[in-house]
Amino acid sequence: MKTTGARSMILFLLAAGFFFGLGVFLYGLVTDGGKWAVQPFNGHIKGNSVSSGEGSVYDRNGTVLAATKDGKRVYSSDLDTRCAMLHAVGDTEGNICAGVQYSYRSALSGYNFITGLVAPTGKSNGCDIRLTLDSDLCRLARDKLDGRNGAAALYNYKTGQMLCLVSTPDYDPENPPKDLATNPDYSGAYLNKVVSSTFTPGSTFKVITSAAAIENMPDLDSRTWECNGSVVINGNKITDIASYGTLSFKNALAKSSNVAFSQIAVEIGAQKMQAEADKMGFNRSFSFDGTDTAKSSYSVASAAKDELGWSGVGQYTDLANPFHMLVLMGAIANGGTPVMPYMVQSVVSPVGIPVQVGTAKTGDSLVSADTAARLRDYMRYDVTYEYGDSLFPGLNVCAKTGTAEVGGGKHPNCWMVGFSTNDSTPYAFVVLVENSSQGSVASAGRIASALMKQAGGVK
Amino acid sequence: MTLAFDFAALSTDAVSILLFVLRVAVALLCIVTATRCFTSMRLGKRRKDPIMVLEDMTTHQLIPVLYWENSIGRSRSCDVVLRDQTASRAHAVLMRRENGWFVADTNSKSGTFVGGRKLKDRAPVFPGDIISMGSTVLMLKRTADVGAPPPAPPRRGAASPFSLIWAVLVTQILLAVQVGLSSGKLETAPMLPLGGLMACELIFYVYSIRLMGHVSFELETLAFLLSGVGLALQSAVNVKSAFTQLAGVVLGLALYRFLIWFLGDMDRVMKWRVKIAVLAVLVFAANLLLAKSRNGARNWVTLGPLTVQPSEFVKIAFIIVGTSTLDRLQTTKNLTGFIGFSAVCMGALFLMRDFGTACIFFVGFLIISFMRSGSVRTIALACAVAVFGSFLILKFKPYVAQRFEVWRHVWEHTGDAGYQQTRVLSYSASGGLFGVGLGRGCLKDVFASTSDLAFGMVCEEMGIVIAVTAVLILAFLALYGRGVATRSRSALYSIAACAAGGLLLFQAGLNIFGATDVLPMTGVTLPFISLGGSSMMASWGMLAFLKASDERTYAGRRKKE
Repeated sequence: MKTTGARSMILFLLAAGFFFGLGVFLYGLVTDGGKWAVQPFNGHIKGNSVSSGEGSVYDRNGTVLAATKDGKRVYSSDLDTRCAMLHAVGDTEGNICAGVQYSYRSALSGYNFITGLVAPTGKSNGCDIRLTLDSDLCRLARDKLDGRNGAAALYNYKTGQMLCLVSTPDYDPENPPKDLATNPDYSGAYLNKVVSSTFTPGSTFKVITSAAAIENMPDLDSRTWECNGSVVINGNKITDIASYGTLSFKNALAKSSNVAFSQIAVEIGAQKMQAEADKMGFNRSFSFDGTDTAKSSYSVASAAKDELGWSGVGQYTDLANPFHMLVLMGAIANGGTPVMPYMVQSVVSPVGIPVQVGTAKTGDSLVSADTAARLRDYMRYDVTYEYGDSLFPGLNVCAKTGTAEVGGGKHPNCWMVGFSTNDSTPYAFVVLVENSSQGSVASAGRIASALMKQAGGVK
Repeated sequence: MTLAFDFAALSTDAVSILLFVLRVAVALLCIVTATRCFTSMRLGKRRKDPIMVLEDMTTHQLIPVLYWENSIGRSRSCDVVLRDQTASRAHAVLMRRENGWFVADTNSKSGTFVGGRKLKDRAPVFPGDIISMGSTVLMLKRTADVGAPPPAPPRRGAASPFSLIWAVLVTQILLAVQVGLSSGKLETAPMLPLGGLMACELIFYVYSIRLMGHVSFELETLAFLLSGVGLALQSAVNVKSAFTQLAGVVLGLALYRFLIWFLGDMDRVMKWRVKIAVLAVLVFAANLLLAKSRNGARNWVTLGPLTVQPSEFVKIAFIIVGTSTLDRLQTTKNLTGFIGFSAVCMGALFLMRDFGTACIFFVGFLIISFMRSGSVRTIALACAVAVFGSFLILKFKPYVAQRFEVWRHVWEHTGDAGYQQTRVLSYSASGGLFGVGLGRGCLKDVFASTSDLAFGMVCEEMGIVIAVTAVLILAFLALYGRGVATRSRSALYSIAACAAGGLLLFQAGLNIFGATDVLPMTGVTLPFISLGGSSMMASWGMLAFLKASDERTYAGRRKKE
């Protein structure tokens, strides 16, 4: 019997396999249960679509942005609000992945590990989500974009609350156009360009080149550059739109002289430019309420001298993600270390218990405090000397514009990035207008002006 | 008008909340009852005190006899080791049978003598008798005669059968209320199958505890709990099939009692083994001749109004044929007969294209052959053959290969080959810890939901807690079978219990892991829970082997005589 007993140990092998399998299932259930449950075919979710959970989505003022009525997903009653909030809220079909209706679909559906999809009352009640966004501000941004493609975002760099997040083209989520997939006008309509796209930064990249100059050129403020319309580097001509004559550094930034900044980039060298860009958040992804942002890219490891020059003025292969530029502005405004933007203020269960509350989270330092202080001075000078302080009356805005050539017979992409240094209006912004026939101040600048004035309460 | 409407809404809410509370209560009751059963079974195990003593007549050394069957020989693996070069390695077996102690010679070279008379086969020995083997002379003595303390009384803490049957009945009453309220209003018709089950349980309890004088009721309690969960699930889907399931329980109980009686006499079992093997082969042959293809497998036979799955019953035969008493194990060392029988069984299952059941038989074969021979080589060889066989299946049966292809990729196939698995996962998660309520699930509308996907249905409608408790019960049944392997009254029971426990667990594993995409999908049933009369009967049959292995099972009867 002793040997029979010893041989019976073979059952431990079987039991071990069984417990392992059970562990695999339970581990999956704990980690992926929400994903498993929130499927389009799941009969416990009414309305036969991924995002038609039961929970509502509100903006910061309590305006209903999305809700479920009689098993059908409905959005704001105002068409402009529906379109302006499309990319933040998401659509019914789950095509807009950066929207909360997709990224928070298990919370909206009411899924939790304890009660699954169906509450003890027998109904499936989802959590409500309140956003930090101001739908009035978003509508204003969309209104000012006026049918042009682009993106606009504005956030409070002290609290991290995103107030405006708009991407165009958009469409009405309540009545999606039939030709959404085929009409070229809707190309990119599923993308939230602030979060998921990258664009040539143009002169907004001079903020990064400036930071490198501040840190690597000790005599920066006593230096001058002869800007006579063009400079030849490595046999390649780099041009400005006008001849500015002799420029000090801060005037070179205000005039946005390519001649000066390409030479600065070459002088600093590829290695230090690359290090500065990497430190300032290029080639890295940020997390925005669970969505990973597209990476800005800057790579000059194998660039020739003229290419390095172009990279210093935001052309070459440079790409910038608007969200990243916004964080960078927040960092410069905030002494070098950004408070990361977020847009989900709270997720509240049907019984009124908040299951998630958005709070200010500090990101990695993107720039040293000293460099940030000097950048603020230069960027403030840009506004007062070049763009006109009347754009942002009383707001003490520091900013930088950009006009990025994209080629292909299109007009340039116009940018403006910046922030207010007032303690009472701690807002940073990024505005991008694609294919703009106007200058960057006239296009992006006007939109930024409107947004900052409304956010800052300027009449 | 408005008031009336509000009241109606309130009462629907109230019913839902009541049902939720009942689900939580049932989950807790299941956990408590199962824990009570298993702790009681652990406490009920006899301590390792000697039953008898052998005195070496030359050295006067006392050798404890610890088991109901004891191998005696020169080999160190024997239960009684003889330091005697003239004795054979496995010389004899000293065993307790219903009518006293026996010693059997197991083909020793020099023979075994009791009272000076050489043994032909086996002979009874009484305390005071002299047994001689080689140059060793042993006297069998009672432990009390050598001044050893009397065997300790059974430990306290064993669960009383009465409290266990009560726990089961209360659980099932709560389940019946849930089934009755599943449509929102109280209906009695769906509650009837569970009512029937409770009546059966009471009758069975009175029969075995009061009339037969059995002292333990833990295994039956566990099986009743599982059967109740399965029956509640079926009642909420289809009352008619729930009655079939109930009939399965009744017949299963009959089979259970019959098997326990049949296994009671080991000589009878050994005598019938060959006949049972032949019968099993004939059943398979008949199956192959009569069966019509159903969902890809030809494993069903229709006999008048009944549809049976013969392979379920052959499983029981397979274990009886495979197991053996210790003296037989020592005399017939080779496995040829059993290997041949296993090969025929698995071959028949391949012809029926029931590969899931073939896997179960294969694992049964591995357990039995290892426990009989201890030969790792045989196991390795069998596994090699199995790998080769599965290679052939994958090559020539494309639909099996397809199941392997979607395995761990079911989310890419939500509309085709991963349809069932993704529904099981999605709806299992939807249920949460306590389920959405009996009859209120969505998985029931998916093909084979009540049989192959039964685990998913339990998860969705009754909750993860009950589902996990149910499968843990099956896992601990197998471990219980292992735990009593040295304490049972014979190697025959030990091997059978380990094989039965292993088969139940492996089958449960194939069912739940196939449905949840941990393993490739196979169409086997979840013991005691899935819909199917044959499956239910076979589950009770398997339980009989575990029951027979509990030494208390045949103690009660002796007391009675």
